[in-house]
Amino acid sequence: MAKYILTFSKTGTICYTSHLDMMKMFKRVFKRAGIKQSYSQGFNPHPKMTFAQPLSLGYWGLGELLEFETEEDYGADNIKNILAPLMPEGIVITDCKEAEPSKKTLAAKTEAAEYIIAVPLHEKIDMTSSDIYDKYMGQEKILTYKKQKKKKELAEVDIKPMIRDLSFVVEEETLFVTAYLDSGSTSNLSPELVITTLIECLGLDTERSEVQVMRRKMVFAE
Amino acid sequence: MRIDKELDNMLKKVEKPARYIGGEVNSIKKDPEKVSVRMGFAFPDTYEIGMSYMGLQILYNILNKNDDIYCERVFAPAMDMEELMRECGRELFTLETFTPVKELDILGFTLQYELSYTNVLNMLQLGNIPLKSCDRGEEHPVIIAGGPCAYNPEPLADFIDVFLIGDGEELLEQVCIAKKDTSSKEEFLKKISAYNGVYVPSFYDVEYNEDGTVKAYNKVWDGAPDRVKRAVISDLDKAEFPVNNIVPFIDTVHDRSVVETFRGCTRGCRFCQAGMIYRPVRERKKETVRRLAEEQIKNTGHDELSLLSLSTSDHSCFEPMALDLMKMCKEQNVALSLPSLRLDSFSFKVLDEIQGYRKSGLTFAPEAGSQRLRDIINKNITEEDIYGAVEQAIGLGWETIKLYFMAGLPGETYEDLDGIGKIAKNIIDINFRVRGRKGGRFRVTASVSNFVPKAHTPFQWAAQDTPEQFIDKHNYLTKQLHIKGVTFNYHETKTSVLEAVFARGDRRVGKALEKAHQLGCKFDGWTEHYNDELWQQVFAETNTDIAFYNYRERSYDEILPWDIIDPLVTREFLMRENEKAKAAQTTADCRQGCAGCGINKHTECFKGAELPEVKHG
Ligand code: SF4
Repeated sequence: MAKYILTFSKTGTICYTSHLDMMKMFKRVFKRAGIKQSYSQGFNPHPKMTFAQPLSLGYWGLGELLEFETEEDYGADNIKNILAPLMPEGIVITDCKEAEPSKKTLAAKTEAAEYIIAVPLHEKIDMTSSDIYDKYMGQEKILTYKKQKKKKELAEVDIKPMIRDLSFVVEEETLFVTAYLDSGSTSNLSPELVITTLIECLGLDTERSEVQVMRRKMVFAE
Repeated sequence: MRIDKELDNMLKKVEKPARYIGGEVNSIKKDPEKVSVRMGFAFPDTYEIGMSYMGLQILYNILNKNDDIYCERVFAPAMDMEELMRECGRELFTLETFTPVKELDILGFTLQYELSYTNVLNMLQLGNIPLKSCDRGEEHPVIIAGGPCAYNPEPLADFIDVFLIGDGEELLEQVCIAKKDTSSKEEFLKKISAYNGVYVPSFYDVEYNEDGTVKAYNKVWDGAPDRVKRAVISDLDKAEFPVNNIVPFIDTVHDRSVVETFRGCTRGCRFCQAGMIYRPVRERKKETVRRLAEEQIKNTGHDELSLLSLSTSDHSCFEPMALDLMKMCKEQNVALSLPSLRLDSFSFKVLDEIQGYRKSGLTFAPEAGSQRLRDIINKNITEEDIYGAVEQAIGLGWETIKLYFMAGLPGETYEDLDGIGKIAKNIIDINFRVRGRKGGRFRVTASVSNFVPKAHTPFQWAAQDTPEQFIDKHNYLTKQLHIKGVTFNYHETKTSVLEAVFARGDRRVGKALEKAHQLGCKFDGWTEHYNDELWQQVFAETNTDIAFYNYRERSYDEILPWDIIDPLVTREFLMRENEKAKAAQTTADCRQGCAGCGINKHTECFKGAELPEVKHG
């Protein structure tokens, strides 16, 4: 029995596959590689593997993490070398290391994530990056509607406390936002809410489908 | 793969964008500049359905093994995607390189069901390719079509340049190569029409009698064959079969490893087109099947394996093959699925082991409710067979039995329909007898489809029931099958009418297809998309006489629109079988003696099978 953490990037058209599609893809890659995954017990056994955080459909990811267990000790470098050539286009394995012994899963340790959001601008905006920051973050509260975990109803929330840091760069016709957001089990903020509130606050006519989101990295509690 | 902003925006708006991105494990990347022929393999339905079709994987593999050909995939976009494509002026593209289909050398459609024909036209239009062959020039790709429906190509004759009839394994590659070796469309069509299996409709002019039947097929070019013989692969064991199947990212109808164990069927059911057009039986050796299965599993990472044939247990080495595969699958943690088993004691042993506690339903297809009608259609299964098997199944813990029947078969009476109710009732009673008065959660599902006469079958001359007759029968059956524990489903009547028009239509029904396409009909096989009002309008405006195509019995003298295709099974055999049907006489499985269908004049029957020699008459 051994436990590993795989780091990979997901870029290009493959970002249009879902988190469950990726699970299935990895399961099959392990099988093709002849790496025996450990399975859960019970009526419907499934391989022990989880992503630190699911990546939303359409997002790119540069530092995505997959934690998994194997029946045998295969060696982290070896796993990386075997898996790398088997990955579909757009998935690049950048690292594999043995997981430190810990009771908590990677998913449970995830606290925050950093995103880069590219918002195309149809018209030039007469604001500097710091103007934009002041206008958006200067709001006392950033109110929007969010689906409640249990009830599934929409409720008004203030997302401002969940924004850890935000910075803006305007480059030609695109507004780049670096957003460092809560992203864990206790407090979680989807970049989607930042996008909608930002577009609204700045009065942009950009559609959601024009916006690109990339998750750069995740941050974990010790 | 990087794509442009516009397409990227579209993908962000549609449902299941992964349908349109390609890039799956084992999909093929080639430099289009480095090949001589670019071919698009088009499936006229959504990605999920098309990717579950084994023929696509077989041909994709063969063509792409040839360094001079690049075969890419094309599917029908779902409604939401189509809308965006039309809005932005984005033309239909291939999944591998996002190339507009218009730029390919050949675009080939597979015709698996008649109700996908409007999608063929819609895809041409989305590709910005003129629908009709006569409106296309050298700058457009050659449009070809194959698959079982191509055995009556006529409804699509105005739109398709070339039909490929029969086994495609060798033929399609030859046709692609011929494209490279010729410099004009005409030269190409003339060259390939010398190959078995190639039908070029524009080489023939159809003349009609006053009563609307076909008078003659007149050749426009003397070099065209009198009849187009279907292409046959003689040795299936040696035929190419893929081991590097494309593995979809998203869930498809079937997402598993599949090995075809044999082609053809010897049972001779008289309604069944597959049973006629895939003759003779040709087997893959069990060692080959195992090797292919192992390699596929290794290259795909699938955790399910299924066998493909018209009747799994009819393989001459089925038992040892099944045991061997079961062992292999167990070792590799792969689920084995064996469809369409004949339910004898061996099958039960196998099913009991591979399905374990999670027993899915057991399926029987008596097709007709009485022995007399089963004799008419030559369906060789007795009620005793069914009851015996059901009793065993219940004993082993199965809780769902699925029964398949047809309504509207030639010679059918209401007494035959009573038989359907009787069989369902008897099965319920067997369950009570075996499991006691409570009977458990036992369920019987009886599904009734509507008989659609198909070209190149003994029933190709038969009349189809009218919608009124079907509806009366469905209502009658609803009453008969009002039995506790029995679920009754029947097939939509309107689409069976449509299917029948195109299954036996001539060239003139092409007008109706074109009209339907103009009015926006597409995905006709999908209940939620089928629009009956539009189709009624289509038939009215194009003066299509449904009664002429569907409800009349044809005489043996009549020239049938699909007679231009020679399925290598003789017309005399089909006539003989039809006459025997009228007398309710059966014809034995031709393993027990050749029934004289004529195919043995062209190729070897039972090639690869380990059978005692069958004597041809
Ligand atoms: S020629 Fe005879 S043995 Fe061969 S498929 Fe036809 S009926 Fe069967």
